[in-house]
Parts: sequence; C-alpha cells; structure tokens
Amino acid sequence: MRFLPLARLHLAACALLLLPGCFHLFAGGGGGSTEFRPPRRVNPEDVAVPEGYRVEVVATGFTYPTGVAFDGDGTPYVTESGYSYGESFTQSRLLRVEKDGSLKEVARGDHPPWTGVAWHQGAFYVAQGGEQGGGRIVRITPDGRTTPLASNLPSLGDHHTNGPAVGPDGALYFSVGTATNSGVVGPDNANMGWLQRNPAFHDLPCRDITLAGVNYPSDNPLAPNTGHVSTGAFVPFGTETTPGQVIRGAMPCSGAVFRLVPGSTDPELVAWGFRNPFGLAFAPNGRLYVTENGYDVRGSRPLFGVADYLWEVEQGAWYGFPDYAGGMPVDQEWFKVPGKKVPKRVLQTPPGKVPRPVALFGVHSSSNQFDFSRSPEFGHVGEAFVAQFGDQSPDSGETLAPVGFKVVRVDVSNGVIEDFVANKGKGSGGPATKLGKGGLERPIDARFDPSGKALYIVDFGVMLVKAKGVIQPFEKTGVLWRITRAAPEAKP
Amino acid sequence: MRSAVLSVLTLALVTACGPARRGPAFGTPREFNAQQQEGRVLFMRNCNPCHPGGAGGLGPSINNKPLPSVAMRTQIRRGVGAMPAFTDEMLSDAQVDAIVAFLNKMQEETK
Repeated sequence: MRFLPLARLHLAACALLLLPGCFHLFAGGGGGSTEFRPPRRVNPEDVAVPEGYRVEVVATGFTYPTGVAFDGDGTPYVTESGYSYGESFTQSRLLRVEKDGSLKEVARGDHPPWTGVAWHQGAFYVAQGGEQGGGRIVRITPDGRTTPLASNLPSLGDHHTNGPAVGPDGALYFSVGTATNSGVVGPDNANMGWLQRNPAFHDLPCRDITLAGVNYPSDNPLAPNTGHVSTGAFVPFGTETTPGQVIRGAMPCSGAVFRLVPGSTDPELVAWGFRNPFGLAFAPNGRLYVTENGYDVRGSRPLFGVADYLWEVEQGAWYGFPDYAGGMPVDQEWFKVPGKKVPKRVLQTPPGKVPRPVALFGVHSSSNQFDFSRSPEFGHVGEAFVAQFGDQSPDSGETLAPVGFKVVRVDVSNGVIEDFVANKGKGSGGPATKLGKGGLERPIDARFDPSGKALYIVDFGVMLVKAKGVIQPFEKTGVLWRITRAAPEAKP
Repeated sequence: MRSAVLSVLTLALVTACGPARRGPAFGTPREFNAQQQEGRVLFMRNCNPCHPGGAGGLGPSINNKPLPSVAMRTQIRRGVGAMPAFTDEMLSDAQVDAIVAFLNKMQEETK
C-alpha cells in the first residue's frame, strides 16, 4: 500500500498518539514547573470552598511549615520543618501563633525535618524526621523543654519519621517512611542528597524477608566515571543480592507504623510494608487511618501510575512495599513505565496478604496529613479532610496536568473523594504560583481545632521543581489558613 | 479526501489526550441516580488516580471529553496509550456501564 507524504505524517501522528507517545507528547504539566519571585502573594479571594464556608489567613511568613496542633486554650502551634527537599536546611522550630498572627518561638532543635505535632495532656509531641541524626519522637512542654521518647529511628533517607497521633488508648502512634522509592538504593537517592551523607543506608524490613535476587544496574554517583554498579533490594548501594537470600527483620524498621505506650521508650510495631505513611489520624470510631505516598517514576526501579492511598490500619498487617501498590502486585502492565519493561518483584514470597485501600488519590498528589470532622456545625462528620501537597513533577514522574495542591474530603465508607478547598479557576488547577494568584500553594496538614468548628490548613509554601532532581524551595512563604462555616444570614 | 479524514482523526486524538481542563472547583451538590452513584464509587477505585475527580493529572481530563458512550466503553476495555485495559475480570459490563453513566453526568456538570 502506498501513501502520500501528508498521509504518512498523519498516520505517524495517529500511531504516536495511540502508543505511549501520547503521554510523552503532552507530559510536562506539573504544578511545580513554574517561576516565582518573592514575596508570596496571599489572597483568600483566590481560594474556592463550598457554599456556606469561608477562608481566612491566620498567619504568614513560615519557613517550611509542616504541622499544626492546639493547646488546651485552642491556640494554634506550628512546626517549621528545618529541611526541605532541594537540600535546604534551616532551623526546626515549634511556634505559637498569636491572635494577631505574629509568631513566638516555643522550642527549636535538630533532627530535621520536623514533620508534625500533636498536643496531649499538657505537652506537645513532635515527630523529628531524622534526615540528619535519625528520627525521634520528642515531648516538648509549653516552656520549651524537650525530652526524647524514641530515638535512632531509621529515617535518614527519602522519607522520614512522621506523625504523631494520639490514640484512644492514650498511646502515641507514629510512622517511619522508607529510605527509597521502591526498595533499591539508586542515583535518585544521590539527587536527594542523603546517599552521600549515609552511603550504607538502606531499607530495613520489620520481619524476615526472602529476596528473589533481582539486581539493578546504575551509574555510581559516589564515584563518578567508574562505570556501573549493581544493587539489590534492602541492601546498601552497590551491593548485589542472590535468589533465596534472607534479610533479617529489624526493629525499628522502615515503612511502618509504630505505637509508644505511655511511659515507654520502646516502640511497638503496629503494621508494616508502607512506602511513606505520612499522615496518621484516628476516626471518630477510634480506628486508625494513614495516608501513603505511592511509588514514583525515578531511580533504579521506577514504577508508573501508582496512586497515593488512604488505608485503615490493621494490627500486624503487611501493606505491600516494595512489590505491591494499593494491594496490586507491581509486576504487570499497570505499573510499567511507558516504553520500558514490566517491573519485577524483588521478594521471593510476599510476607502477607495485602489489604485493600480505603481510597485512591491522584497519582503524585502527595496526599499527606489529615483529620476527621467531628462537628455537625462544620459538617461532613466522619469524613477525612486530606491535605494534598501536590505533584513534584518531573522529579517524581511526568504528569499531563498539576495534581493536588488542595484539600479533599474522603467518605471512608465508599472511597469517594471530593474537592473541599482548591484554588479558583477553570483551568488545570495547580499552585498559586502557577496560576499567578494568591491562593493555596502546597497544603501539607489539615487539622480541626478542639471545637471542631474550624479546619486549619498548613501551607508549606513555594517549592518549585525545575527539572528531574532539581527542587527549589523558598523560605518564609508558608501560610496558615483557616476554614469555617459561615453563619447563616439572618432572615429579615 | 483521505487526508481530510486523517486530519480529523488526528485532531480528535490530540483533543482526547491533550491538555487537561477541569470544571469549576465546586458546583451545586450533585444528585446521582443509583447507576451513576455505583459508577461514581467504581470511578474512584479504578479511574481517579489518573483522572482525579475527572480532571487531568497523570492522564487527560475526562469530565469534558466529547466522546460517545460506546467510545468510552472501548477505551476502558482496550486501553489507549499509557492507559491500561480493564478486563471483564476487573470490571463487569454492568460496572463499565455505570462508570460511563457517571462520566456522562460529570460532563453535564462541567458544561
């Protein structure tokens, strides 16, 4: 069959579009791919909420804020991380937010990034992420005295020590994320910065696991121009594994949720096999839920099309890392990077049956800390309100449009997700910088005050992603927002 | 003539997987019939990761896709580009119909 040149061109275009080329052709729409020149503009008018709710700015000028909690009087306190991706180290702090929006330092410390805070019986409990010095859970009294409760948590890598949340049993629940994207240390971890600091660090299983002996070749960023190295799962960079090799379980371990009972400094394992269980919250019925940031398209073992998940946590269960995503094995077309081979499993046998997630968030949405509504006056009682930090495309993988950059609510009975707070505009959405507006940038925590009538949103601030491995955060751009139900207008 | 047909086809494909558009962030609370509600729940479990809320993300927006129901069914069953195929072991015909009903409702909302 012969075709005219123009027809050939059209056929080629059609073929390109019907193959993975379609994705590659239009990818590049991440929310962080934009420009920013300080100062940050903040305008509640640029934020959309459902009818009957209103948006206010409580305070501005935070540097990498991550969490909010309230003391016995209902005064908000915010953690400043002290670290952002992009290898920006600042000062980790706990700040009191005064009624006029001014900030007063209560405590400062090390072991960044501080990822979250809870108030319980007269003191704050802070998760110190441990990018430097390892993760810790610490108690901070209102006068600033700090006491470590759990230390040396293995979170020197991609993901950190997160939480904490106070359970109905009075115990502190927290999590530790994994060192890597999907179990294998690779050049992406050098881009993150930690591989140079801790070249022997890797993921630690909580229970004994048996490996399939799959190894991944890569460049060696620790010794450039020396050729390739080969790395297996759950071992240091440049170490190969063999079929049937057993990796002994450790405590504490990576990718797990733990509990600290009152008076103890010895964490107990609640569940494991998570990648990055970033948010923890208890529902009104006392059940523990966590959000999990799913795998990225990066490193030696990239996985494509993986959602973020909301899980109801079952004591002792294994949630699939690094061979399952949302309960599905990763060795199938679903998770194949376009144009690449189907991923292989690295475990010889799964250590358990993976539960099903409660809800599936957008791929790369970075669905993070959250809280449950308990107040009929606010509405949506029993639903989870989840802060979505937003994509880090192209570093985490390409997208066609911005994902996240808002707060969504989840009906945990059926997994239905609806926008609750998002930037105005009919386009593809995204952070305020991308839209040229003064609305939300990167929500990282959503928390109700003790009355349950106000939802506070911690907005991390501006973090651009200029290219794969090139992240540019901006200090003093964080914001604390508040959402309340507007009083019904009086009838004449 | 062949060129014109191919041009239209190419344009349609480009539109189908091109830049995303979402509807207004919040409209009036939606009412769903039983089939649409079933489709809504199935959509959240199967489609939402790549098309969050029907808007674009990893995949293109589908709450504004000018496609007849039969084309949507075909895409779901056969996959297209980076989108995987949903076999009848994953979704029954009735479940695919429910998702299509929900998508049609979404398109009404975003007009």
